[in-house]
Amino acid sequence: MHDDDVMDRILRDAMAADAPRLSPAFDARVMQRVRPRRLTPMGRVVIGVYLVAAAAAAAWLMRDLRPEWVGAALVIGAPIAAGTSAYVRRIAMTR
Amino acid sequence: MPPTAPAEPASYADRSDEWLVEQCRESADEGAFAEIVRRYRTPVFRVAVSILGQGFALEAEDVAQDVMLRVHHSLRSFRGEAKLGSWIYRIAFNQALNLKARARYRAPHVGDESLAAAPTPTRDPHDQLQDERRRQAVRACIDELPEVYQSALRLHYWLGASVSDIAVMLDAPENTVKSYLHRARRLLQVMLTERGFDAR
Repeated sequence: MHDDDVMDRILRDAMAADAPRLSPAFDARVMQRVRPRRLTPMGRVVIGVYLVAAAAAAAWLMRDLRPEWVGAALVIGAPIAAGTSAYVRRIAMTR
Repeated sequence: MPPTAPAEPASYADRSDEWLVEQCRESADEGAFAEIVRRYRTPVFRVAVSILGQGFALEAEDVAQDVMLRVHHSLRSFRGEAKLGSWIYRIAFNQALNLKARARYRAPHVGDESLAAAPTPTRDPHDQLQDERRRQAVRACIDELPEVYQSALRLHYWLGASVSDIAVMLDAPENTVKSYLHRARRLLQVMLTERGFDAR
């Protein structure tokens, strides 16, 4: 018998196991993960309260600062906050 | 550009990959992406399990899920230079390789296939033991081959894929796949002979 045929037979014997299959819930799981997540009404209220409180606290903390410093803080802080938010969202999407 | 209306669900299966990608990109059409998942889930899973090996079906399913999420996330950056399938299979191949590199220390799950391969009482136990030793040696030798040979062998001998199917999944010409299989058999023959098994 040709060497290739011998190895062919040996390989067929060694790998003669049932091929695994995807679970039936695979599609549903994937689609659930890619669907955009929406905040619940309660979540929106919490975020809203947090934003108002954070803005008030920032304004109070920076009340004595000169306008240039406030502007510089916004110019530096806003891109960092936006970048971090996008990064975290990206991680959450791919997890 | 205003978002286009989602297509009728019944029509997705008849549409081309390019059309589905456009629908996903322009209107985030969930039905179009569901059709992409339906078309590519099985080959992606097979590519993943062919890299990870027998006993790692659960991990391969996780890889397939991660690949689909990555595809969804990256469709905007897909420029269409390669076929959608080739692009998805490349992601699957790399994702499975990454997982394999991270999980080398883990033992495979004992699945139904192991139980099916358990010795049967009708044959001589000595022969069964010899056969089982050779099977284990073959599987151990396969694990030492280059990844692309491993994948081609498992796709062909375990998952029953044809050479043309493997060529699509590994994004290689059919002759190259035939060459992978031929070289892999040659290498395995040498390795088995070195380990004292009759492979000629």
